[in-house]
Amino acid sequence: MTATPTRPARKLSMKARYSALTRDLDWEPSYVSSAEMFPYTSFEGIKIHDWSKWEDPFRLTVDAYYKYQAEKDKRLYAVLDGFAQSQGHLSLSQASYLNAMKIFLGGVTPLEYQAHRNFAFLSRHFNGPGPRFAALCQSQDEIRHAQTEIHTLSNYNKYYSGMHSFLKQHDRVWYMSVPKSYFDDALSAGPFEFLIAIGFSFEYLLTNLLFVPFMSGASFNGDLPTMTFGFSAQSDESRHMTLGLEAIKFLLEQDEDNVPIVQEWVDKWFWRGYRVAAIVAQMLDYMLPKPVMSWKEAFELYFEKQMLEGLFPDLEYYGIKPPRHVQQAIDEKEALSHFVYWVFYNFSFAANFTTSIPSTEHQAWLAENYPDTFVEYFQKPRWDKAQRIVDNGGRFFFMGLPQLCQVCQIPMTFPEPGDLNTICQRTSDYNGEHFNLCSDGCKWIFDREPEKYVQAWLPVHQIYQGNCGGPTVPDVLAWYGMQEGDGGEIAGSRDEVNWAAWHGTPAAKEA
Amino acid sequence: MQYELRTQVIEPIRKTFTHLVERYGDRPASRYEEGTIGLQATEHFHYRPLWAPDKELYDPAYSRFVLTDPYSFTDPRQLYYAPYVTARSQLHESFGKTLDYLESHNLLARLPEAWRQLLTGLVLPLRHYESGGQMISSNACRFAYGTTIAQCAGYAAFDRVGNAQILSRIGLALGGGTTDALAEAKAAWMDAPALQGLRRYVEQAMVAGDWGVEMVALDLADSLLYAVLYRHLDEVALLGGAGSYSLLAQHLAGWFADQRRWVDALYKAWTADPQTGAANAEHLAAVAAEWLPKAQAAVTQLTAAIDELVPDAGAVGAVAAAADSVTASLAALGVTVSAQSKEESA
Repeated sequence: MTATPTRPARKLSMKARYSALTRDLDWEPSYVSSAEMFPYTSFEGIKIHDWSKWEDPFRLTVDAYYKYQAEKDKRLYAVLDGFAQSQGHLSLSQASYLNAMKIFLGGVTPLEYQAHRNFAFLSRHFNGPGPRFAALCQSQDEIRHAQTEIHTLSNYNKYYSGMHSFLKQHDRVWYMSVPKSYFDDALSAGPFEFLIAIGFSFEYLLTNLLFVPFMSGASFNGDLPTMTFGFSAQSDESRHMTLGLEAIKFLLEQDEDNVPIVQEWVDKWFWRGYRVAAIVAQMLDYMLPKPVMSWKEAFELYFEKQMLEGLFPDLEYYGIKPPRHVQQAIDEKEALSHFVYWVFYNFSFAANFTTSIPSTEHQAWLAENYPDTFVEYFQKPRWDKAQRIVDNGGRFFFMGLPQLCQVCQIPMTFPEPGDLNTICQRTSDYNGEHFNLCSDGCKWIFDREPEKYVQAWLPVHQIYQGNCGGPTVPDVLAWYGMQEGDGGEIAGSRDEVNWAAWHGTPAAKEA
Repeated sequence: MQYELRTQVIEPIRKTFTHLVERYGDRPASRYEEGTIGLQATEHFHYRPLWAPDKELYDPAYSRFVLTDPYSFTDPRQLYYAPYVTARSQLHESFGKTLDYLESHNLLARLPEAWRQLLTGLVLPLRHYESGGQMISSNACRFAYGTTIAQCAGYAAFDRVGNAQILSRIGLALGGGTTDALAEAKAAWMDAPALQGLRRYVEQAMVAGDWGVEMVALDLADSLLYAVLYRHLDEVALLGGAGSYSLLAQHLAGWFADQRRWVDALYKAWTADPQTGAANAEHLAAVAAEWLPKAQAAVTQLTAAIDELVPDAGAVGAVAAAADSVTASLAALGVTVSAQSKEESA
């Protein structure tokens, strides 16, 4: 028996230890070719010369990851259990606040799940071990988010409408095709485009406009579980943001030829994400009984200030310019949410949320936050008219089907640049067919890859083609899995009636 | 005696989400069910993948193993993220304690030389095998049809990096806090004749293309490796004065027992499917006939070197026994691995 004399234990640096435990696991295959091993990383035209130049954005070893995450989940689930046991839902600001969460559960949670699956793809198919391990961790985080969101909102589902069929509705309901097609677009792209689309654009560029407003809304409206989830996800998200930033820098630093490719992806995914954010915009401005901040203010702070003034000057060093069509988004900030909520007000009979004319107090808040647009373009011509109908005992719903944009799939509602009174309408022809686009941004995206966007599953077209349960509204709603109380008007809705009964106050009559 | 705490009771209007009521009846659902069943979309995909235009984003056709109802398989461990990370946190904490103990008592340095060589030259290199296992499992996580399988594969992928990390930490300890032993192990993985069969095997498994085939190929090799290295040698080590080896091996053996639970359940679901069961069984037989002999040859090559270092180890014999046991458990599912292919491997 030979007892080797012990050398004095030399401590590895954190970086060296992390590297030994993660990326050093990689090896160069010799029994199969590199092209066989990594078949998906060449067709997009991205050139990577040295994968080892990927700077690991976070140095978390596996044991540390488990320990940290297990502790976080223990705390989160304790809050969820306590909230459920104490009927915490009764202390929400209003039952109608949950409309925001109905959109979140159906519109965002399935995206978390999609991210889980496709980060797994990257964790197999990137050639370099650094990005593979980073993607692997993010894949784990994303299933965490999907599941903790479901578990967080599960208790509300037991007492409120509109959440019970969120998975089916993500795949079927007209407005859900906006977030679904956005993520399907990213998953069907190559691994590098996905990294820019989701890793950079969704998780970094737009996360404060797409994801965070729901958490802030929760905090302002007494939704303790969702707020706790938000805080619990924060450290994961900050890792994802760091990864997104590293991803774009890595691609840009590897080869100059990558720059124009990445620029087009930034252009495309800014606009794609921004159009999805239109749904968040109406949520921020109209659905929160206690508003956090206006869309305009959020856009100015989180996009114009933090990204256009903060990030893009840094990216200029690599030759990256602010996204094409960004000016259109800036011009729309005074109007975006109003157009979209008006659409939702018109069509909520076919949705899993309820809408109502904003209260007098709420309209005053909107007028204050949108001094140049709300009163003139939205209050007078729309809400005052809708109010007169209500005063006469009616409720206006638009019972036809809207024309959808072939790319973002939002009903054609957005204005011509510089003219809020005219609906913008662009068209493109491809293979002898005619396609409608809502904006220059969506038209540009369509014209880059028409063979992709002609495939889109457009809910309205599908209804006309008879693929959605039948020709009548009740047929389609049944096919959507809608139940009594899911959609329509807030006043007198099932949630409002129950809320009033639980609080011992008389139910509000149709306003 | 209990005191009476009065709480506000409000009758819920439903017990869980509709798709779970439709599947399991009107009862409260578990967190595993709510967080798993039906999560993956199955309809109305907007675009075909640029890199697989003949398939949908999620498509049963990514594998020849098909379940009529993807949720006829559920994880017998009922693992969703929170219990998963909790269980693995405990595994790594417990491993960490073992390693601390071995280090503080200088026990690794006191391993018999043959065992030290065995560990450094033949076991540590398997951290790369584990890494290959991660990539195979990650691929399955992306391409499997249905959330239940994809979720198990996704956690298994992360497990593999954890297993590799366990081996790496042993390597760092053996190297006295340096990466010397890991570098030696990597060189062995790349060039040592005893390991080339296994490296070829895992590289070929990684490019098999069908996620189901890749997972089965990995599992066949796992079944031999884990049985021999972390179970059989565990016994041998105890008898041969290499108790530290046994202390380390228990953690990986424990992991594999857990892994087997869902993999066995998946095989069972595949072969028991009322519509696709027969085809799945035939396919499983074909995959086993192709890959089990290769796995046996590769692992035998590795264990022959073990038997040279520790003459009484009986490692080669243990591989044959493990292969028989794999064949027997497949047979129990109605999957017959053809005798001819078994002879070829002998």
